[in-house]
Amino acid sequence: MTGNVAVLKFPGTNCDEETLRALRRHGLNARIVWHRDFVWREYDAIVIPGGFSYGDHLRAGVIAARTRAVEQVVEAALNEVPVLGICNGFQVLVEAGLLPGALIQNEHGRFTCKWVRTRVRNPKGPWLLLVSDKMVLDMPVAHAEGRYIIDEQEYVKLVGENPPLILYEDGWNPNGSMYSIAGVASGNGAILGLMPHPERAVEPELTPRGFNPGGKLIFESIYFALRNGW
Amino acid sequence: MVKMPLSVEEIDEIRDILKREPTREELVMFEAHWSEHCSYKSSRRLLRLLPNKGNHVVLGPGRDAPAVEVFPGILAVFKIESHNHPSAVDPYNGAATGIGGIIRDILTLGAKPIALLDLLYMGNPFNPHAKWLIRNIVKGISDYGNRVGVPVVAGDTWFDESFNKQPLVNVACLGIVEKNKAVLSKPRPGDLVVIIGNSTGRDGLLGSSFASAPLKDNMVEDIGAVQIGDALMEKMLIDVVNEVVEKKLVDYIKDLGGGGLTTAISEAAGDYDLGVEIYLDRLHLRMDLEPYEILASESQERMLLAVPRENFNELIGILEKYEVPYSVIGFFNDSGFIRVYYKGRIIAEVPSKAMARPRALVRKSKPPEDVLKGLTPLQGIPEPDLEDAIIRIFSSPNIVSRRWIYEQYDHEVGGRTVVKPGIGDAAVLKINDDKGIAVKGDGNPRYTWLNPFNGAANVVSECYRNLVSVGSTPLAIVDELNAGNPEKPEHYWFFENMLKGLAWISDELGLPVVGGKVSFYNEDSSGNQVKPTLTIVGIGRVENVRKAKTMEFKEPGSYIVVIGETLPEIGGSEYLYRVHGLEVGEIPVPRPRLEYMHGSTVRMLINEDAVSSVHDVSIGGLVTSMLEMAVASGLGAEVELSLVPSRGIDRLDYLLFSETQARYIVEVPLNKVEKARRILDEMNVVYGVVGRVSSRSQVDLLVNGKRILELDIGVLREIYADSLEKYLERG
Amino acid sequence: MSAMLFTVNVVISYKPSIRDPEGETIYRQLILKNNYSMVKNVRAGKFLRLLVEAESPEKAVEQVKQACLDLRIYNPVVHEIEVFLHDR
Repeated sequence: MTGNVAVLKFPGTNCDEETLRALRRHGLNARIVWHRDFVWREYDAIVIPGGFSYGDHLRAGVIAARTRAVEQVVEAALNEVPVLGICNGFQVLVEAGLLPGALIQNEHGRFTCKWVRTRVRNPKGPWLLLVSDKMVLDMPVAHAEGRYIIDEQEYVKLVGENPPLILYEDGWNPNGSMYSIAGVASGNGAILGLMPHPERAVEPELTPRGFNPGGKLIFESIYFALRNGW
Repeated sequence: MVKMPLSVEEIDEIRDILKREPTREELVMFEAHWSEHCSYKSSRRLLRLLPNKGNHVVLGPGRDAPAVEVFPGILAVFKIESHNHPSAVDPYNGAATGIGGIIRDILTLGAKPIALLDLLYMGNPFNPHAKWLIRNIVKGISDYGNRVGVPVVAGDTWFDESFNKQPLVNVACLGIVEKNKAVLSKPRPGDLVVIIGNSTGRDGLLGSSFASAPLKDNMVEDIGAVQIGDALMEKMLIDVVNEVVEKKLVDYIKDLGGGGLTTAISEAAGDYDLGVEIYLDRLHLRMDLEPYEILASESQERMLLAVPRENFNELIGILEKYEVPYSVIGFFNDSGFIRVYYKGRIIAEVPSKAMARPRALVRKSKPPEDVLKGLTPLQGIPEPDLEDAIIRIFSSPNIVSRRWIYEQYDHEVGGRTVVKPGIGDAAVLKINDDKGIAVKGDGNPRYTWLNPFNGAANVVSECYRNLVSVGSTPLAIVDELNAGNPEKPEHYWFFENMLKGLAWISDELGLPVVGGKVSFYNEDSSGNQVKPTLTIVGIGRVENVRKAKTMEFKEPGSYIVVIGETLPEIGGSEYLYRVHGLEVGEIPVPRPRLEYMHGSTVRMLINEDAVSSVHDVSIGGLVTSMLEMAVASGLGAEVELSLVPSRGIDRLDYLLFSETQARYIVEVPLNKVEKARRILDEMNVVYGVVGRVSSRSQVDLLVNGKRILELDIGVLREIYADSLEKYLERG
Repeated sequence: MSAMLFTVNVVISYKPSIRDPEGETIYRQLILKNNYSMVKNVRAGKFLRLLVEAESPEKAVEQVKQACLDLRIYNPVVHEIEVFLHDR
């Protein structure tokens, strides 16, 4: 087993178990860590999984972002530890200031759960190591506050850093995200946040007909990254 | 002021039991516990008719949830519950707290909840009040279910005028647990009584007796009965119970549901011949409450644990880790008495068994005046324009895709959902690499209203077929009987006959009814009952999830085969209502022997990989099922109607729309034709090879080689996929 | 008298006697945990701002109150509303 990956758990986190399974399935040494027991130095990579931390009260991710655990995630990120935020995890990373933009209520005002098609641009860093540019990854989304918003100035700045981006393919944007952004990363790709759930797109039996399990490459990537560096 | 709807006889009985005047707290305890919702006064006698035993039934009715051994060493724990009355007053919280309650029932056996189902019987979507109810019920289930991380994977939805003011909201939950970890034991003398979860407030004070009376017109007064759900606390309870069960720290777990603390302690003590001492002032409260209020409160997200003293510290460690509030309020003993103290004073002293087993009432039953509506053969039904009729049925709110609903539910959380909503006849959940469980819920208010006995039997049969279609072996069912006012003989008659029909078909199919609930008083303030409805949730064993089948056509050129004969049975059909505006006639006859035979045949075809798609035939008839398979895939079909096996049919509309039972449509790939024929012939079932899947985007119906209808899949798909949203968002 | 435009605010929250899990969670997990102990309670709700054409400010408020009831913008069984003119 490679590496030491923390799957952070807050009150209300509910995708931790399948995220753990997906990591372990790909050869990673991972465990679920209760937020108050989290010490960043013990881990080579950190995953903040999906769910409704603190019930999404007030705003998704805002209460978790103010915990000691996430303060430590910020410290870890400053020390080049790879961080992945899935769905609610993405919301936490944005609220904590580790990724730009904001995630607000879906345009049509409802929770939405369905498979979507995304395309990766400029893959870099540990989480997308094995993904090639313009590769299509299919994954399901399940969220009420997944609409990515970024103002023009911030977008220009973001694009200037040439980071990896995960974009909804034409016709597949489920929530009105600006620039079709499904996921965004830091300049070197070490911090990645995305709304779709890669851990639900790993097993063929769970993948509907007409789609491919697009999450596999993300877990395979972090495995190779921790083994051989990125 | 607190209502005391105990009857004079009941108060006398209480005096008799106690041999003195009861205290106020004792009266409240009896009232909360004896009220209809909790104690089945009107149904206990008849419920004994239901068969509930089987080889794999580990725990039948009696505890908070039943358990079935679905695979060696693995128990499936599942249950159904109704929240009809709260949902009529506050649909959002009524539905949400229904989900909360059913999940906690599953937790009491130490099971991990892995799936939820919602069975919703709602009003006319174009009626503004009904629309308000529907949208908020779905939002309530969505917000709560999504937050607790249990996927809503299947359900049943029906729209009917009779539910305009009083919808039926039945929810079900399925959990799994290893047999050797399941909490099947009982409390022991010396065990501490620990209440975990939310603090107690005034929520739902005497909510149970509220559910025992019909809806009042001025809804604003019903405020004391409304309970608010807190999904975040529920998720913490799931996490706590999970750890507590892993570490085997408790002897017994109980939910505080209907009847609140009173019912929980009296059932825990009464069921096991124990006594209990409760110090009420030790319970963690949200505000100042009188002792009788504490006893009867139905604040949500609370559970009772019976904890051996030696495990107490470890339990506290877990509760504090998850920041779940708790209080130790007493202990079990073998006195046989429930003794409740408040600030040093004894306020209640009741023999444990007295509370738990009230008298069963014998209710009168009489057929309603219009009973002939379900017994009259149909005559003189005009033959409609077929294309128009097909479009009407396909646009029916009862047929169209429920996408608008299930896309609001996270149906994938947990990473187990193999067959997802909208694509198969039942949901299939993976429990380890190969093995899975299928689960489905069904109901048909029109059938049970026209003929409660046969209607009930057909509802069970439909659930059976749905489980078979995805490739499972049906194992057991739970039921909810939603009926009117049991004090009115013409309402009670429906309850009695639905139950008898259920008991009969369960025997015939070998499908034990391992648990169930009853909901009475489903009527509006004018005394009109809603259509009496039996809902069934069934589970099936899936040996290999990779073989689970979905309904969409897979391959152009494959053969389409209909299994089972069609008879002229349009009584009570969706066709008769949508096209002719009638809800009358003899509903299709239940066919248990054929259900069993055809079920075994389909299962064999699936196991031998002889079919690529399976769909059962139910409301809307053969043509509707066929079109559903086409629309789901985008592929078309060419079907020769003269090859559809039938008897006694001389009109096309009867052939297309009859709702004869025990029928399936399967798709057979070209290279499996020999194998499929062999199985079908060996099993000696009636079948017909009626056509082929085509790559063209239309369905052609032919009669003796002549094309009589061409249906465009694109048009149908739009109707099917988007109609419900139109009806509920814009319409 | 000609009609004018008024801005009317509506705040919808659970009645005080009813549990407010959202307010409680924000209070306990965000405010108290981050040591803002001068805050003693939090209640959460929904906010709407309506632009209304009416003859007078009082009429505007009245009409909004009626609309909230008729359209079930709030559920009187569980919610209370505050309807007030927006002061600039």
